[in-house]
Amino acid sequence: MRRLPAARHVRLAPRQVFILPTRAGWALAAAVGPMLLVAVNYQNSPAYALTFLLVSLALVSLLHAWRTLLGVELRAGPAESTFAGQAACFQIFLGADSARSAIALGWPGMERVLVDIPETGEARVELLLPALRRGWLVAPRLRVESRFPLGLWVAWSGVDLQQQALVYPQPTSGSPMRSRAGGGDGDGQPAGEGVDDFRGLRQHQPADGARRLDWKAFSRGQGLRVKEFAAWAGGDWLLDLDSLPGPLEERLSRLCQAVLELCSEGRPFELRVAGKRLGPAIGAAHREACLRALALHGLGEAS
Amino acid sequence: MPRHALSWLLTAQLLVILPFVAYLPAWLVLLWLGCAAWRVQVYRMRVPLPPSWLKGLLLLAVLLGLALSSSGFDLNAAAALLVAAFILKVLEMHRRRDALVVVFLGFFVLVTGFLFDSGLLATLYSLVPFVALLAALIGLQESELARRPVRTLRLAGTLLLQALPLLLVLFVLFPRLGPLWSLPQVKQQGVSGLSDRMAPGDIVELSQSSALAFRVGFDGAAPPRTELYWRALTLERFDGREWSQDAAPAWPSAPQWQAQGEPLRYSVVMEPSNRTWLYGLDVAQTELPRVRQGADFRLEHWRPVDQPLLYPVTSWPAAVRELTAPAATLQRALQLPDAGNPQARLWARQLRADHDQPQALVQAMLSHFREQPYVYSLRPPPVGVHIIDDFLFASRKGFCLHYAGAMTFVLRAAGIPARLVVGYQGGEYNPSGNYLTVRQFDAHAWVEYWLPELGWQRVDPTFAVAPERIEQGLEQAVDEEQSFLADAPLNLLRYRDISWLNGLRLGWERINYGWQRWVLGYQADQQWRVLKEWFGILDGRALAGALLLLLGAPLLLLTVWLIAPWRRRADPLSRQYARFEALLARHGLRRAIGEGPRDFAERAAQALAAQREPILTFARLHEQARYADQSQSGHGLRAALTRLRRCLR
Repeated sequence: MRRLPAARHVRLAPRQVFILPTRAGWALAAAVGPMLLVAVNYQNSPAYALTFLLVSLALVSLLHAWRTLLGVELRAGPAESTFAGQAACFQIFLGADSARSAIALGWPGMERVLVDIPETGEARVELLLPALRRGWLVAPRLRVESRFPLGLWVAWSGVDLQQQALVYPQPTSGSPMRSRAGGGDGDGQPAGEGVDDFRGLRQHQPADGARRLDWKAFSRGQGLRVKEFAAWAGGDWLLDLDSLPGPLEERLSRLCQAVLELCSEGRPFELRVAGKRLGPAIGAAHREACLRALALHGLGEAS
Repeated sequence: MPRHALSWLLTAQLLVILPFVAYLPAWLVLLWLGCAAWRVQVYRMRVPLPPSWLKGLLLLAVLLGLALSSSGFDLNAAAALLVAAFILKVLEMHRRRDALVVVFLGFFVLVTGFLFDSGLLATLYSLVPFVALLAALIGLQESELARRPVRTLRLAGTLLLQALPLLLVLFVLFPRLGPLWSLPQVKQQGVSGLSDRMAPGDIVELSQSSALAFRVGFDGAAPPRTELYWRALTLERFDGREWSQDAAPAWPSAPQWQAQGEPLRYSVVMEPSNRTWLYGLDVAQTELPRVRQGADFRLEHWRPVDQPLLYPVTSWPAAVRELTAPAATLQRALQLPDAGNPQARLWARQLRADHDQPQALVQAMLSHFREQPYVYSLRPPPVGVHIIDDFLFASRKGFCLHYAGAMTFVLRAAGIPARLVVGYQGGEYNPSGNYLTVRQFDAHAWVEYWLPELGWQRVDPTFAVAPERIEQGLEQAVDEEQSFLADAPLNLLRYRDISWLNGLRLGWERINYGWQRWVLGYQADQQWRVLKEWFGILDGRALAGALLLLLGAPLLLLTVWLIAPWRRRADPLSRQYARFEALLARHGLRRAIGEGPRDFAERAAQALAAQREPILTFARLHEQARYADQSQSGHGLRAALTRLRRCLR
């Protein structure tokens, strides 16, 4: 069987589209039999004609089903990262040189999505795929099919758009496992602005993030003020894979949870995974790098 | 299931069952109305689908209703059951698959409808529900995002047109078989026609019917009207009241006769008669298989004719029939009731005494009819016990069966073997199609008598009384009496003297004749004749080859047309932009490689300062259509381009 080579962008050529009768097609074939028998036994020409018309329509609709897929271009869109246990969402764009109706897209063995391609522009389809394990989730071959117009035939093709999504470990909360990088706890002096202890309020400046605005004061009409926190010197959080007890996957899950929590709290932290040190830092890029490191730990950076 | 699919399906159902109202209980339409309304309410989530006990109850009620309104299990009852199932299935339609069942059932019901009416109009009408069913089928495949139902319909029409060439090829080339087994027949309501028992009243009934009996297309010129005696069968037995077919079962099937003179070749398209005999001019032979020549020179089909039947005939009008007739045949031709009609018997003896030669006797009888005040009338007075006597000597008023019956009776009483022949006489000639239409009111009866040296001879006493009946037709024969189709004031045949109306009627009948002849009659023998003469196909292998070839060709054409490599084009936006570029290129402005549309537009606007505004407008619209909103690209851009073109002129 001819299979399409994997590519980010695929245009369906005539020989890559296969056609098979559907169950409805077989049912029609079975229904044509009795109709023909009626025509033969009653020597009835219009009955013959109607039977032949159905047969002719079946043949014509075969061409139409084939034609619906022919020249359809599939383009891989971005795939969003997700956590294990959830579903990864792949985007696919479909285009063609003319309008196409009712093209079904889906992973093998899963429900398909019907989409119409407009005369101009592309149709966007989002397909979900369950992410069971962390690491790279490689999308299987996509099945594109068309039963249009009569549903008697299914024209289909398997397409590999080389799509993959990064799956982070499943976050699970567990026993506290954060430790301070500096070791000592509580006896240090506040060392400038930080994130640890509340110190007071100051006037809002354009560079301040929304996270530390004093909304209560704002609602009382006292103007925009910013809460100031003091950072404890040498007090960044350290997340170390090797220092945790338990099986690897569980540790990764717990670290993942910790990364999410620390990020949502806006605290800087450092992650040590297999000799790699990330941070200490805060922000979306750091979060992404940490989650990626956790997702791919021990799996290699491949693809 | 999608909305359009449901609405098309319900529409198609109504269209499918409407013609059945003429044959099946009319309350089926009410049943449809109820089921459809329920299903629509289900779609609107107002009510649930009926529970199974309710469905069972409904089914029982419908079955009971059908049983009450039908008489025994015949084809009508079967069709009613099918239609009822087709309607009730709507209440069981949960999923796409159920809807498919309804659509396929619909196709089957359409086919069944042709058993009731296979005329041109009915067939053309069936295309309407067919397209609706097709639209429903397409609707089932469409995505839920509502599209206009008209588009679905248009697609159905397109598919139908594309399927037509294939349909033609299949229809012409697909080998026709004879019926594989016998099936119950449609009860034709009010099929009138000749029967094997005829009393005068039957002919009166027939004379009021303008229903088609058969049509005849002649290969050459049609013979004169006075020669058109279409034999159906002979009635040999007279019981004092009515004439009937002799019940003797063991007839020698093939009578002896000699072909003489020029043969006549023609083909007959016969309407269903539910009888076994066919019609032909004496002496008729046909190539149609399973038709034999009866002992009385009739053509006998192997089973009752319940579908329109086309058969080619060769007739030998000058043939000599049975110079030596079997004794049994002659004995039957001399049968008389033991008693009754004494005056007629007396007259026969007198005639016998006056004339030595049988032929002279026959001539004497004809002169008697001609000279005495006999009247041709469709409204004869009631007769008593001796119907021949009363007619011959008292009322002297009657029509063909009276004259032919009386003559046969007297000839037999005079010792001359004679029999009554019933069939049709004449017919309406349609000059534009060189064919003849014979209707029920052309039914006729005449006499055949046998002479040892001449065989059977035809004689028509009606011709002696009312020659216009033979030369012109029934309408002219009963002109004074005004009894022609007296019960049907709207019948077009009554207005044959209005020329434009008659022209329309003849045109329509000609189309119908073509339909009968070329479509309905396209069965086994006709097919082989056409294949031989038109395609030179002589055997099954050539037929299979032609079938494959001619099926492949339209499919290939359609494939090419669907892919249409020469029509492969960029999207409309790019086409518009290409036109824009071509337009500016004519003014010496070409977009450089790597130059973006916006830069190019700026440059062009500077170079053609006078057209600055339209150029920039087009560029802006194009940019918007391309990158901002893809849905409404068309019209504004086209208008801007047209404006630019006008400015540049």
